[in-house]
Amino acid sequence: MMALLMGGLVGVVALTSILTATALGIWFERKLSARMQTRLGPTIVGPFGLLQPIADFLKLLQKETLIPDGADRLLFVVAGPFCIFLALATAAFVPISPDTGLGLDSGLIFVVAFGAITVIPIWMAGWASRNKWALLGGMRAVAQAVSYAVPLVLAALVPVLLAGTLSLDGIVAAQQGFHWFALWPTFPGLPAFVLYLGCLLAEANRIPFDIPEAESELVAGITTEYTGMRFGFFYLAEYVHTLVGSAVAATLFLGGWDGPIAPGLHWLVAKTLVLYTVIYWIRWSFLRLRADQLMSLCWRYLVPAGLGLVFAAAALAQVMP
Amino acid sequence: MTLRALLVTLRNVFRRPVTWEFPRSVRPRPERYRTGFALLRDEHGEELCIGCLACEKICPSAILHVKAAPKRESAVTGKKRGWAEDLTIDTVACLGCELCVQVCPTDALVMTRAPERPADHREELFLTMAKLYENGLAREHGWATGTKLMGMQEDEDKKKKRKDKEVAA
Amino acid sequence: MTTPARNHLATYEPEGDLMTLNYGPQHPSTHGVLRIKLVLDGERIVEADPHVGYLHRGVEKLAERLSYVQLTPVFDKNDYVAPMTNEQALVMAFEKLLAIEVPARARHLRALLGELGRIASHLLWLGTFTLDLGGALGGGSTQFIYCFRERELILDLFEALTGVRFHYNAHTIGGNRHDVPAGWAAAVEAALDQIAARVPEYRGMSVENGIFVARTRGVGVLPAELALGLGITGPNLRASGVDHDLRRDAPYHVFDAVPVKVITRKEGDCLARTHVRLEELEESLRLCRLLVGTLPEGPICGARPVKQPAQFKIPAGQAYAAIESPRGELGTWVVAAGGPSPHRLKIRAPSLHALSALPHILPGHTFSDAVAILGSLDPIMGEVDR
Repeated sequence: MMALLMGGLVGVVALTSILTATALGIWFERKLSARMQTRLGPTIVGPFGLLQPIADFLKLLQKETLIPDGADRLLFVVAGPFCIFLALATAAFVPISPDTGLGLDSGLIFVVAFGAITVIPIWMAGWASRNKWALLGGMRAVAQAVSYAVPLVLAALVPVLLAGTLSLDGIVAAQQGFHWFALWPTFPGLPAFVLYLGCLLAEANRIPFDIPEAESELVAGITTEYTGMRFGFFYLAEYVHTLVGSAVAATLFLGGWDGPIAPGLHWLVAKTLVLYTVIYWIRWSFLRLRADQLMSLCWRYLVPAGLGLVFAAAALAQVMP
Repeated sequence: MTLRALLVTLRNVFRRPVTWEFPRSVRPRPERYRTGFALLRDEHGEELCIGCLACEKICPSAILHVKAAPKRESAVTGKKRGWAEDLTIDTVACLGCELCVQVCPTDALVMTRAPERPADHREELFLTMAKLYENGLAREHGWATGTKLMGMQEDEDKKKKRKDKEVAA
Repeated sequence: MTTPARNHLATYEPEGDLMTLNYGPQHPSTHGVLRIKLVLDGERIVEADPHVGYLHRGVEKLAERLSYVQLTPVFDKNDYVAPMTNEQALVMAFEKLLAIEVPARARHLRALLGELGRIASHLLWLGTFTLDLGGALGGGSTQFIYCFRERELILDLFEALTGVRFHYNAHTIGGNRHDVPAGWAAAVEAALDQIAARVPEYRGMSVENGIFVARTRGVGVLPAELALGLGITGPNLRASGVDHDLRRDAPYHVFDAVPVKVITRKEGDCLARTHVRLEELEESLRLCRLLVGTLPEGPICGARPVKQPAQFKIPAGQAYAAIESPRGELGTWVVAAGGPSPHRLKIRAPSLHALSALPHILPGHTFSDAVAILGSLDPIMGEVDR
């Protein structure tokens, strides 16, 4: 009983901290994108506009939520919360410090699985909206997510082979002492890191792979018929997915909580922030790829590259102690 | 060189933002800036508008409505002159073409550099005669008057030549 | 009822179920209120049927009621992105009928304002085109903000000259209404310098960017015969290989004395149109520098300034005057019948001809390409619908 209560308390603390981090991440992205466009970004709400995400949240809460006539009500309503649940659940598996961690033998499988299942609520939203724009977005999302899951897993296999374990704690432990996989061994490590980041962009529907929600083409893609807080779920889920995905990438390739001096949570936060910035820097600089170009990039270039990297990592793991 | 885009964006991070935080800070406006309307009085405080209806006739949107008053004597010169009983401008449909300012023979109607055209209530966009005269005193006038605009387009020699030709014809 | 598409590309045989999709009129990237009825097979377009008229404001009918001198501020709003060229095409037709000679300073100033307007229009086009390709939340909007930041410089110049940023009513029958204020020439040079310094950045984010090239190369090829047959002019025609520019072939203003370099490309795809417009922007920068440095002295208006609505009564006759607007040949055909208003006034809008190419070039492309093709043709619905 006590354990259950403790677990619940930890869960609440963890959720609150992740959502706060996401709100700060939204603020940071808006300020960053504004500076990249030589403008100011939010400045009015709160000091330096820090309360802007709260204002957006309150605005979304008080909007009229409607369900289109003829839409599949169950799927329509369930898609949003399901999406954010998956995004948040992945965060549980990321080892945040040397002492805590779930201690699962196969944490990576859960992370990849949760990331892959995300396509289901996205497709549900596209199908249930009874809207051609949403349908096109949903179909593109399925094609993209299913395809890019393959090089994602292949890239994630490189640290697994180098560390010899599927457990995320084990992978971080193998990188202790500044032996981050992205830096050493540089040959499969760095290209695998870049490949993983690219596939993370695709899984999180970020430019240049954001065709499911390409609002200059598909009005708002899968979220066309969503209003108010139902839209808020998808919006929030995107940012949480990006944040948690950056944390997972930092765990796999950049050593997680490891650092040259005083390893701990702050190193993980710093690395996540750096990756988050890079992802949004890419987002605000590039245009989006067309659907067929995206698919051909995946299957003709990324999958063979991933396979090659996995073979190289396996060979290296045999040779190295 | 696809990654050039990343460098361009990075370079722009370090440029000064070009945002003007209106209404806390207002960008400097040029001399000829025009947005609202005002009616003027002469130096003795008498209305310049003579109710000739030239502005009402020229307006392409037909938003000016002038009601001419019967001629009576001016308190300053003692001579009979025209007056306007009422002059209203419904700026909702104003194109900002400045033709009404250009045709005014007495430079009575001018545009102002304030207030801003957008308003909170529709009534604020309908300028009554009282509001127009109040703008004339309270607001900063635009550069253009009828005389100045006509003078810019037709200098004095040409005007004299044209007037002579009309007299001769 | 959709008309069958006469596809000049290899005929695409559709398989599977077809889906009808309304691209517009409520859509973030149809460049105004345009509706294109698409028949899709999955993501491939089988048929495209544009419907226009959502922005029809009856401007040509209004012209029969307003007098000649009242028309300039109204026709500003046709091609609302380049208002200067609108007004110029209009008053040129009236001046032809009245046989008024426009003084040299006014002609020079008109050419300068037209070229500055061309720079502003092409900047807006580049921003909105990359916005369509990249999204309002993403790289497209970055380029959009950059282009608009530089466009503000030009709008500031126009504001210093006329007093308003947009829809200037700067022209009158016989010349211009506003003369150049003190220090304006220096401000023009400064603005041109700053824009010229930023053009390499635009190139870096567009034509030198692999993703942009992948999205636009080979997409939306407009064959030259089709373009000529549909009456398409301007950068769309020049990108398909036809060497035609009114500034050189039927000169007006000062273009008989000032040579203009006409930029053409052979491929006719979206990338070619981008190149043509970018290079036209650079050419206009050069022209503006030349024109602002050689502005002659003299009056700015060759006829009586506007004083009454019925000032010009044009006797019966017809005239057509055309100008090279940023979109192509913008022409005014006026039929006068002796009164102070025209009997009939027709605007030849280049964007309407550009849109008529859509049923021919869209089929066979994917839906994302439709967005790119529509953006690259640079239609402005204000002049399409009038």
